[in-house]
Amino acid sequence: MSAILDFPVKPEARPYLDAFDGRQRDVTPSWLAQSRRRGMTRFAELGFPTRRSESWRYLDLQSLQQKPLLPAGPQPGGHEATARAQLAGLELPGRGPRLVILDGRFAPTLSRIDDLSAGVWLGATEAAIAEREDLFREVAEEVPGDPAHPFAALNAAFFAGGFILDIDAGVAIDQPIEIVHLASGKDPRSYHTRSLIRLGEGSRATILEAHTGDGRYWRNDVVAVRLAAGAALTHAVLVEEAAEAVHLAELDAILGADARFSGFALLLGGGTVRHEASVQMVGEGAACRLDGAFIVHRTQEANIVTNVDHQVPHGETRELIKGVAAGRGHGAFQGKITVREHAQKVDAHQLSRNLILGGRAVIDTKPELEIYADDVKCAHGASVGALDEAALFYLRTRGIPDAEARHMLIEGFLREPVEEIADPVLREHLLRRLARRLEKLEE
Amino acid sequence: MLEIKNLHARLDDGREILKGVDLSVAEGEVHAIMGPNGSGKSTLAAVLAGREGYEVTEGSVTYRGRDLFAMPADERAREGIFLAFQYPVEIPGVNNMYFLRAALNAQRRHRGEAELDAGQFLRVVRQRLKVLDIADDLLQRAVNVGFSGGEKKRNEIFQMAVLEPRLAILDETDSGLDIDALRVVARGVNGLRAPDRAIVLITHYKRLLDYIEPDRVHVLQDGHIVQSGDKTLAAELERIGYGTFAEAPETAEPA
Repeated sequence: MSAILDFPVKPEARPYLDAFDGRQRDVTPSWLAQSRRRGMTRFAELGFPTRRSESWRYLDLQSLQQKPLLPAGPQPGGHEATARAQLAGLELPGRGPRLVILDGRFAPTLSRIDDLSAGVWLGATEAAIAEREDLFREVAEEVPGDPAHPFAALNAAFFAGGFILDIDAGVAIDQPIEIVHLASGKDPRSYHTRSLIRLGEGSRATILEAHTGDGRYWRNDVVAVRLAAGAALTHAVLVEEAAEAVHLAELDAILGADARFSGFALLLGGGTVRHEASVQMVGEGAACRLDGAFIVHRTQEANIVTNVDHQVPHGETRELIKGVAAGRGHGAFQGKITVREHAQKVDAHQLSRNLILGGRAVIDTKPELEIYADDVKCAHGASVGALDEAALFYLRTRGIPDAEARHMLIEGFLREPVEEIADPVLREHLLRRLARRLEKLEE
Repeated sequence: MLEIKNLHARLDDGREILKGVDLSVAEGEVHAIMGPNGSGKSTLAAVLAGREGYEVTEGSVTYRGRDLFAMPADERAREGIFLAFQYPVEIPGVNNMYFLRAALNAQRRHRGEAELDAGQFLRVVRQRLKVLDIADDLLQRAVNVGFSGGEKKRNEIFQMAVLEPRLAILDETDSGLDIDALRVVARGVNGLRAPDRAIVLITHYKRLLDYIEPDRVHVLQDGHIVQSGDKTLAAELERIGYGTFAEAPETAEPA
C-alpha cells in the first residue's frame, strides 16, 4: 500500500481512497500523479463536511456518505442513444458550438466543436494534455487547501473529463457556447469533471452549462474562470439533474481589471444540489453579477452559495437570488461579500428573496457582508414569504384556474434574475426551461 | 341575470356588513349602486366575485339560473362575471399581455372555443386599445406594476373590453380619476352595453353617471338597499345627500 496511509483517514473517505490506490499505477506525467495524490490525501484527511462547517450547514449529505458513489472508470461507457434522448429539448436552439460530456467523459459524436473562430481553443480537458499541456496544468494542479472544499480536493484526485475554453485577447464570440453534462444512469457512479474558462484581455464570450441525467449518480464539478483585464464572460448554469442525483459544483473566478463576470445558476432539479460561486476581484474596476434561482419540491434540497472577495478598489457586485420551496423541499442561500481594507469605493448589493409554498417546505437565507474599508456602498437584504393571496385572487377573477394562477405568480417571481441575462437566445431558453419545470411542480 | 335575495354577509372578524340585500338585475340593464363610505358597497362586490375573508350567513345569489356561491371565483369569471377592482393588484414579473391572453383563453376553453394564439390575440387587443384610446406600451409591462392610479383603472376597463363579460361589476372604478380617464371608463362601459349583458356600477359619486346612463339606481346604506329608482334618483342624491335616507331606512322599500 502507499505512503498516504501515514495520516488519519476519515472513514467515509476510505472507499474513495481504496479506489484511488487501485488505479494510480500508471498515471503520467509525474506532476499529474503528484497533484492527484495531493488531492486524495487532502480529501482523506477532511472527509465529508459536517453541518458544523458553515458553508455546508444547510445541506444533508448523509445518504451519499452512507452509500458511496465511486468514481466512474477510466473508459467511457457508450450509452449514446440514451444521451441523444436526454439532449432533445435541453439543447440551446441554433447551431452554435456544443461540447457534450457523457458520464464524465467527452462525447465527440454528440459534440460540435470543430468550427470555431480563430483565437479560440475549446476542447475536452483530457484532450488538452496532448494539445495544450499549459492549459491542462492550470486546470489540474490547483488543489484547494481550504477545508470548506473537500470535494474539490476529491475532484483533483479523480477528475477525468471536463472542458477547457481559452480565448485569445480581443476575440469576441457572439453565439453562446453550450456545454452539456449528461449522466446515462446505467451505472451508479460519481463523475468528477474539471474545467477551465480563460479569457484573454478584452475578449468576450457567453457560455451555458446544462446538467441532466437519469438514475442515481453524483456529479462533482469544478470550474475555474480566469478573466484578464477588460474581458467579459456570461456563464449560465442550468441544473436539471435526476431526482436521485447529487450535484455539487464549485465555480472559482478571478477577475482582472475592468473584467465583467455575469454568473447565473438556475437549479430546477436533482435530489441534492449545491452550486457555489466564488469570485476574487484582483484588478480595479472589475464587476460581477451573481444571480440565481432555485425550485425544490418533494424532498429535494438546493443550495446557492456565493463568496465575493473585493481585494482592490472600485469593484462592483450585484447579486439577486430567488428561491421557491414546495412540498418538503429545502432551499438555502448563503452569500458573503468581503471588502478588504484597501478596497475603497466598492459598490456591492445582495438580495435574497424566497417563496414558501405550504407548511412543510423550508428556506434558509443568510446574506452576509464583511467590510473592512470605510468608503464603500454596500447593502443586503433577504425575505421569505408566501404567495401573494391578493394577486392570486386577482388572477382568478379573470378566469384563470387556481393552479395556473399559482404557476403564473411563481414564474413571475422567478423570472427576474433570469431576465438579467443579456443574450436573448440564452435568456429565452432558460425562461422556457423554467416554465416547463413549473408545470411539474408539486406543491 | 343576477338575483340577490336577502343577502347577509360578515367579515371573518364577525362584523356584519351586508344585512339583507335584495337586488335583481336583468339582461341588457345597467344598474348603479350608490352609497356612502362603509355602507357595504365594496363588500357586495367582493362577495359577488368570491373574495375570501367574507362569510355569507343568509340569503342567496343566483347568476343565470345557477347558485353563485357553488362556484369558486375563477369559475364565476369563466361563466362571464367580471369585477373591476377598486384597487387593482400589482403583479411583478407577470407580463400584462401574457396574463390577459391566459385569462381570455381560460374563458374560451371553458366555452368550448378554440384558444387564440399570440397573433390572433394581438389583433383583438390592438382593436380594443384603439377604441379605448389606451397606449399600447401598457401591454408590455408587468400587470399594474408602476402604473399610475388612472392607468390601473384604464387597465381594468381594457381587460373588461377584451374579456367581454356577461355581467360586469365595477367597484368604484371612477374614484380618483381625472376627466380623461373617466371618459375612457365610460367609453368602455358604454361599448359593452348589449341586450345580453348587464353592468353594475358601484360608486360614491354621481359624476360617472353623467357619462353612463343607468337604467336603475339603488342606494345602499348600512348593509341594506334603502331606496331604488330610475336615473333621476342619482341627481336627487347629489342634491340632498345620503343623510336623508339614513334617517328612515325602515320605510324605504326596495323597488
